Amino acid sequence: MSDSDADVLEMLETLSRSSGLPGHESGVSGVVADALRALCDEVRLDRLGNCIGLRRGEGEEPRPRVMFAAHMDEVGLIVTKIEEGGFLRFSSMGGVDPRILPGSEVRVLGSGASLAGIVGVKPPHIIHEDDTSEAIKADDMYIDTGLTEEEVRRRVRVGDVVSLNSTFARLGGLVSGKSLDDRAGVAVLVDCARRLGRMRHEADVFLVATIQEETGLRGAMVSTYGIAPDVGIAVDVTHGDMPGVPEHDTARLGKGPAIATGPNVHPAVFARLKRVAEDNSIPFQVEVCPESTGTDAWAMQVTKSGVATGVISVPVRYMHTSVEVAALDDVRHAGRLSAHFAASVDRGFSEGLRCY
Amino acid sequence: MKETIRTLVEAYGPSGNEERVREIIMGMVREMCDSVRVDTLGNLIAFRRASRPATGRPAPTKIMLAAHMDEIGIIVTHIDEKGFMRFSNVGYVDPFTALGQRVVFGNERAGVIWMEKLEKMKDLRLDKMFVDVGQGAAGDGSGVSVGDVAAFDRKMTEMGNRLTAKAMDDRIGCAILVETLRRLRESPNDLYFVFTVQEELGARGAVTSAFGICPDVGIAVDVTPTGDTPKAAISDVSLGKGAAIKVKDSYLVAHPAVRNLLVSAAESAGIPFQMEVLERGGTDAGPIHTTREGVPSGVISVPTRYIHTPCETVDLGDVEACVRLLEKVLSNEVSV
Repeated sequence: MSDSDADVLEMLETLSRSSGLPGHESGVSGVVADALRALCDEVRLDRLGNCIGLRRGEGEEPRPRVMFAAHMDEVGLIVTKIEEGGFLRFSSMGGVDPRILPGSEVRVLGSGASLAGIVGVKPPHIIHEDDTSEAIKADDMYIDTGLTEEEVRRRVRVGDVVSLNSTFARLGGLVSGKSLDDRAGVAVLVDCARRLGRMRHEADVFLVATIQEETGLRGAMVSTYGIAPDVGIAVDVTHGDMPGVPEHDTARLGKGPAIATGPNVHPAVFARLKRVAEDNSIPFQVEVCPESTGTDAWAMQVTKSGVATGVISVPVRYMHTSVEVAALDDVRHAGRLSAHFAASVDRGFSEGLRCY
Repeated sequence: MKETIRTLVEAYGPSGNEERVREIIMGMVREMCDSVRVDTLGNLIAFRRASRPATGRPAPTKIMLAAHMDEIGIIVTHIDEKGFMRFSNVGYVDPFTALGQRVVFGNERAGVIWMEKLEKMKDLRLDKMFVDVGQGAAGDGSGVSVGDVAAFDRKMTEMGNRLTAKAMDDRIGCAILVETLRRLRESPNDLYFVFTVQEELGARGAVTSAFGICPDVGIAVDVTPTGDTPKAAISDVSLGKGAAIKVKDSYLVAHPAVRNLLVSAAESAGIPFQMEVLERGGTDAGPIHTTREGVPSGVISVPTRYIHTPCETVDLGDVEACVRLLEKVLSNEVSV
């Protein structure tokens, strides 16, 4: 493993272990800001918590502006009610499938120290026979922290967020953990910034770890408004190959990042991303998105008078679970692709985007 | 305060037809503000300048407070030869709630809602229903035409310490803003009291008013459902347990700094409050917080039973808690 691979792995592990539910990203934004600070000319947090790093280009002003967005929020749960006995009722925040929850470990993130908990359900012995074929509904589950009701009421408040338990691990050439959606993308941004430090680029490059993608692309909306880029690239995850899912609906792990095409992507940006990959021998796959890409690019595209968008995706299996799986190589190649793309943007390219 | 609420909830103002409500509020607030204006969409924006210069910053914090003036209603889509009117909804109207209701049009003509014969009651939909305005044949002078809009017709009634009426959603929020203006002597913040239009159609008035004002902080005041009725959906919000401070709904995760500002204000002033996590629904704070480069936003919610029916029910103690909370927050210098 090269130094650069080790850096990517370490960053990804740190990011995956950090917590940052939608609207509550401060636990992870500090990690991102620290990582970007050494690699950027300036780093700031905006009013809603987006972390924005800027690497100024070498070109004459006004320079083209390229924005990369990877969201740093993660899916999880939120406490809706404290029941008698101190059991916590919850609902999903950002799209956790309740069927994956029974028996899982979670962390309740209140204002003080976090609390360990498990998602409890009735054991099979006492479930009525008629109900055993049905998936357990979220309303029938609860979080058990093992604490007395009195202690729970002192330490937990309705509205406290709950993260899935972090279980980062290496699985051969793959990694597994929570929140690879989209901390893999954030790791790509950091890797991109590191690589750009060794390259020359004409454009101003904005590396934005966005908030609240999972609840409605809200961080991308406001950060894109402030930056007003010529080109906006969302770096996110896409569904990886797994048994029982058709090949044409997935991207293969380890075969390089997916480059999206469809109405959410500007054709010239798509063509440039492919060309950059080919010129630099970066493996890639093409992902077809007939409508929204389901990424920050959907919001970026219609900001102000419009932004030319592209999407680079890292294939990830088991999305929105605590055992998301990705290939380290794909993350690294996505970093290379991002950096070479950013370095390829000159004024001619950005002006050409406005009249195709 | 009770009479302010009565005047507001009994006024007619479905989404897009907020003029009368706006006139009433204009009369209530004009003398208490530095300026009052109506924007292109019809939002009423009442401005109260900061009472002193900001400390340690170039300008006072701009706070936008939003409560929506519109209520749900129905709109006539077709009138048959006998004068029966088919209709569609303006905002979310539940067919089972609408059945058998009396409504009133902008010209004050009443109507009643009924349905075709149905094999199964569960098949009830708005397109199986009609409004009868009492005319024998088309064109006998009801004055109601295709495109005209009606609201539920219901007077406010007291049930002990609780009030029940149509349009508590969100005239109660309007009443809370008006009452806060009455009580608030001074504020070190620039305050924009915005009475918005078309919230029920997607918080559309808040979109444009927030863009125009460009506030530093946004606070919406709106209703939220409770979980305290028999076999209700799980929610910790109850009537009578104080102002609800929103954590999230479908369109907003309250900014932690704004949420904490509200919580600590309530705690320090001994104002009863409860935390609110709402799975479905939204308020004006949704679009406010994604305005321009982003506006940290939160919501003070009034616990309300039977939302989007003609018997929306609130507790006067909760309403008082909301007013006190807003007054407390605004009387200090806010920095988020």
